[in-house]
Amino acid sequence: MLLEVRDLHVEFRTRDGVARAVNGVSCQVAAGETLAVLGESGSGKSVTAQAVLGILDMPPGRITAGEVFFRGRDLLKLKEDERRRVRGAELAMIFQDALSALNPVLSVGDQLGEMFVVHRGMSKRDARARAVELMERVRIPGAAQRVRDYPHQFSGGMRQRIMIAMALALEPALVIADEPTTALDVTVQAQVMDLLAELQRAYTMGLVLITHDLGVVADVADRIAVMYAGRIVESAPVHALYKAPAHPYTRGLLDSIPRLDRKGRELYAIKGLPPNLMRIPSGCAFHPRCPMARDVCRTDEPPLHAVDEDRGSACHFWRECLDG
Amino acid sequence: MGRYVVRRLLQMIPVFVGATLLIFLMVNVMGDPVAGLCGERQCDPATAARLKRDLGLDKPVWQQYLTYMGKVFTGDFGTAFNGQPVTELMATAFPVTVRLTIVAILFEVVVGIALGVLTGLRRGRPVDTGVLLATLVVISVPTFVTGLLLQLLLGVAWGWIRPSVSPAAAFGELIVPGLVLASVSLAYVTRLTRTSLAENRRSDYVRTAIAKGLPPHRVITRHLLRNSLIPVVTFIGADIGALMGGAIVTERIFNIHGVGYQLYQGIVRQNTQTVVGFVTVLVLVFLIANLLVDLLYAVLDPRIRYA
Repeated sequence: MLLEVRDLHVEFRTRDGVARAVNGVSCQVAAGETLAVLGESGSGKSVTAQAVLGILDMPPGRITAGEVFFRGRDLLKLKEDERRRVRGAELAMIFQDALSALNPVLSVGDQLGEMFVVHRGMSKRDARARAVELMERVRIPGAAQRVRDYPHQFSGGMRQRIMIAMALALEPALVIADEPTTALDVTVQAQVMDLLAELQRAYTMGLVLITHDLGVVADVADRIAVMYAGRIVESAPVHALYKAPAHPYTRGLLDSIPRLDRKGRELYAIKGLPPNLMRIPSGCAFHPRCPMARDVCRTDEPPLHAVDEDRGSACHFWRECLDG
Repeated sequence: MGRYVVRRLLQMIPVFVGATLLIFLMVNVMGDPVAGLCGERQCDPATAARLKRDLGLDKPVWQQYLTYMGKVFTGDFGTAFNGQPVTELMATAFPVTVRLTIVAILFEVVVGIALGVLTGLRRGRPVDTGVLLATLVVISVPTFVTGLLLQLLLGVAWGWIRPSVSPAAAFGELIVPGLVLASVSLAYVTRLTRTSLAENRRSDYVRTAIAKGLPPHRVITRHLLRNSLIPVVTFIGADIGALMGGAIVTERIFNIHGVGYQLYQGIVRQNTQTVVGFVTVLVLVFLIANLLVDLLYAVLDPRIRYA
């Protein structure tokens, strides 16, 4: 297994109290596999990714428990300097907003080339040549000239391509993409997503795709992990999940996608708001918003039941949910 | 870029005329330009009238101003009362003040930025609180107090330095006066660097730099500092003009015969030509320093384009 996260807990200590952002996340990604992590804002998707990569702001963040095995080593037990060498080279990240995630005062060539200078000890000149190659690889027109340009001189889609090129520079084994297309125009979203999927196949790398967009997920993901209040509430192969969700939260998400055959009817929305991470509800965190909630949901936290051999649901009534 | 520079240079003309006209009027109309010529005594009316006629002071003020400005552009700033050309005074005073300013700027750059980086990266720790408190003290205590105190302690009580700077005013002698002159700006540079650093530290591109697996020193120098120092550099640049003209107090305390000293003497002795001449040059220094800062800004931040 390329990446295996076991029972990860992350909390943030703030002036108002302790926010429990990640509460026992376990998941796996195999080489060449795409795992989509789905959930509302504040469900702990990005925090999990940052903890895995080791770029969590600590303090206020704190990893209170868990293990992150990457290629057989527990990243959380590595020294910072060893961990740094893994970061970027073997395990890379694509951020949401490329305009703010790229350094505004350095040319894109410098920022791309930096990967080769730091991790491979290349000369600046060779690194610059590799930067041009990378820009061609992500199909940026006129790469040789544009390598000297600054991030603000590119369009949103082109900037995100540069972000992708930077993450893939050293052909990492695993890439975490945190909402890579959210900041883009809808027309550009598909292009960028296709490019990412294509490069993933070419390099046979693992991909963790963090998103709240179910439309993006269906085409590219192999597996889906649905997160709610810092836990994975359902984990399943993509087709099985779309066919019949085994958790009422997943069902709610699927029902809230606009569909042509329901045109004219009111769009379903999950009632209520995501929980406050400082006061996560007792029992099943989803029970205040759940249409199927019963007394047991308020008191007992459901474990991740095995629905199938590669499928799990953290719902007491997953059977009923699956039957619809 | 070229057109921007030309436009800025053209904009300087009205500012330059306005500033020099103002100082010219203040000295010639509100004061009595010949009062200083007769020394301590009051001039007798006949002599005063003759002096005024000789110096062209009986003509209308606008004509006097034009004549003066015309001469300034040929390099003639008139003569002081002791018969010495004002340009000669400038030739001895400006190099001294330039040296003093260089020392002061070096303190701002080296000490100010170093303290700012130190505190910016250690926000909330004892070193941060300590330095912050010290800057507050420096900012709130007037320069003449800091200056006199350092002169008394280092110069008189402990004898580490000579309390008064020699006419040669070598760099070595200007270290303590330079520190005094820089003190307030230095405190501001520290605070500005600290705030800017702390702000940019949370930015997305710094997080990206860490995610790229860059070593910490590279993240700080190449990504964090490069961005955080843009406002600091512009502050220091703009401060050059202020330091050159604002050294009056410091130069008085340490008896440095620079621009501030000459200006002070000129004002006290109602030496019209000296005051107007020096202020004119200072206005020019100020304007050029500001233009250079604005151009530097575009070099440091590629997002800024001048057209």
